[in-house]
Amino acid sequence: MVRGTWCVGLSLLAACGRGDSGSLPLSVRYPDHVAAGGSQPPGVELKNPIASDSTVVADGAKIFSAMNCDGCHGTGATGWVGPSLVDGRWRYGGSDGSLFQSIFYGRPRGMPAYGGVMSAGAIWKVVAYIRAQPVPSTVPTERWEPPQRP
Amino acid sequence: MQRAYVTILLVTVLQGTSPQDDGQWTMPGKNYAATRYSGLTQITPANAAKLRPVWNFSTGVLGGHEGQPLVVGTTMYVVTPFPNVLYAFDLTQEGYPLRWKYRPDVNPAAVGVACCDAINRGAVYADGKIIYNLLDGHTVAVDAQTGREIWKTQIGDIGEGETTPMAPFVARNRVIVGPSGGEFGIYGWVKGLDLATGKILWTAHNMGPDSLMLAQPGRSAFGGGANLGVSTWSGDAWKRGGAPVWGWISYDPQLDLIYFGTGNPGPYNTEQRPGENKWTNSVLARRPANGTLVWAYQFTPHDSWDYDANAEMILADFVVGGRMRKVLVHFDKNGFAYTLDRATGEVLVAEPFANVTWAKGINRTTGLPILDTTKTTGVSKGNVKGICPSLEGGKSPASPAAYSPRTGLFYTATNNLCMNFEASQVTRIPGTPYIGASTPYMAGPGGNMGEFIAWDAARGRKVWGIKEKYPVWSGSVVTAGGVVFYGTLDGWFKAADARTGKQLWKFKVGSGVVGAPISFRGANGKQYIAVYAGIGGDWFLLSGDVRSDDPADVRPPADFAPDLARHTSQGGIVWIFGL
Repeated sequence: MVRGTWCVGLSLLAACGRGDSGSLPLSVRYPDHVAAGGSQPPGVELKNPIASDSTVVADGAKIFSAMNCDGCHGTGATGWVGPSLVDGRWRYGGSDGSLFQSIFYGRPRGMPAYGGVMSAGAIWKVVAYIRAQPVPSTVPTERWEPPQRP
Repeated sequence: MQRAYVTILLVTVLQGTSPQDDGQWTMPGKNYAATRYSGLTQITPANAAKLRPVWNFSTGVLGGHEGQPLVVGTTMYVVTPFPNVLYAFDLTQEGYPLRWKYRPDVNPAAVGVACCDAINRGAVYADGKIIYNLLDGHTVAVDAQTGREIWKTQIGDIGEGETTPMAPFVARNRVIVGPSGGEFGIYGWVKGLDLATGKILWTAHNMGPDSLMLAQPGRSAFGGGANLGVSTWSGDAWKRGGAPVWGWISYDPQLDLIYFGTGNPGPYNTEQRPGENKWTNSVLARRPANGTLVWAYQFTPHDSWDYDANAEMILADFVVGGRMRKVLVHFDKNGFAYTLDRATGEVLVAEPFANVTWAKGINRTTGLPILDTTKTTGVSKGNVKGICPSLEGGKSPASPAAYSPRTGLFYTATNNLCMNFEASQVTRIPGTPYIGASTPYMAGPGGNMGEFIAWDAARGRKVWGIKEKYPVWSGSVVTAGGVVFYGTLDGWFKAADARTGKQLWKFKVGSGVVGAPISFRGANGKQYIAVYAGIGGDWFLLSGDVRSDDPADVRPPADFAPDLARHTSQGGIVWIFGL
């Protein structure tokens, strides 16, 4: 089903069935779209048009709570039923454009599409807030000391 | 001792259970009364130390493995968390190979609408069908012999925040189902589906006007006015007031009543929903055939603490205050264990089974809690500290208790956690969380975060307890052989003497236990115990470092349980133990 849909979509670009993916425009290459945390297709990278400063970040934090983002991603975006957004790791990319697309269009494992609910400007403020969070350097390793023997 | 044997006879006669256990486990709570009591006797306190694992199976799924397997004839059925695979194991063959497996089409978007991990609480067997809920708001019936789908019905809408992990219940040819979504501002309901076709025959809401509640004014215990589901709310707040049905259902065939608990009102911020908020955090008694509400009782009016009442309602008949009573016993998240008359909802006993600071007691005449007003919450109250139990509950409804008519005792997991509660204003956006509170936890008095206890529900007192380092989050099963089983979050499965609480045996099962054990008779005539390992549910959220499956989601440990991940990680395993 998915494959068929793609074939129809790609046929519009006169590329379907040729078995030559190298001739596809890079911007519609399917694996590039789905590669979590991978690179965006060239030519579509969006940049945050709002210059990030402390006011914008503070506004973004307020919107993050007001739009119930914290209900899934946790207070401070540290992770709850949805993933942490402050660990420096990304399923769908952590650039301005990737974050904007995740919020605007949603993602398949439960991230709702906020494109119809929030203005682009509000989304960019949330992007600014998320990108302003410090990434802890000690996250990847957890180490436990054995109990002290008396 | 004499009294105990009289009780067995009475229970047998009154509840119509077979005196000889057939060795099957065909519904979530074992029987209509939801006692999780197995009549099998081979495993005893004298030989339990010789228990050994005889089989295990990886489900291939990492979500929290709540609920329990079913055993019907010589087949064991296992439902996994999302993506809700149904396995049918042939217990007559060496290694218990699959007879079939069923992989439903489930919308992955439901994962983000489930408040607390993509869990499932199990299936029910009836009329040759295995019936269970998919996370995305569907109920399916599958042929128990062939694994073919017989019917599939949409019951909920994930776009409104409804997911459906609860185990359906069957009474009078009706499949009774309800939604989760107390954290999403749903308009809570139960539905009765036709067992043969899956058609929705009735829908009864848990609040709103009597017509939508299928209520009979004047019949409900403690204030039977008309349209209480509207008048105990402000404006139309009831339309997004929560009252999910994500726990367990029981049934008294003689009274012809089903019993189930409703969950929290939404949002958590009390100031957005003035009033008692009936019938959130309540037990409702309805007719299974048409859903009519016969009585209801609210455990925690105008809930300030997310004290859902979705825990099981266990039905038993025993002497309370010198009189034989038909009762319903319920361990609420609010920390009180209630013994109610199940014909009327009258409160007979209500005593704390966990450390409680929000109330000083329950007034048995009015049925109302006696509040400590310094512990009530809301935006204007700021950060309210030292509330016990935490919103995980004195006991989680996900961890069903067991009742042995032989000992006359109830056996349950408990949590010893407290919390601070800081409410905030919140707006409902359909399909997104509608919560409005920050609620950090800390261990309660004594430092042990959990205890497995035996409870005398006639007197309202603890008989024995086994303290555990972590909250105890598993269900339990008790057997006629006199052994009770439960699991721990750090991955131990344990047996104890049902009379004394003496620990008899334990085994490390590979992941924390949030499921409910069962006991069954195998095809070879031997008694077995089955249980899921697979930490998750709330612990997926609370202790995010028990995960290892997502390189793009790496979290520090929970501050109140910093070393839980030292002992367990995710993983779904079905275990069977025998002598």
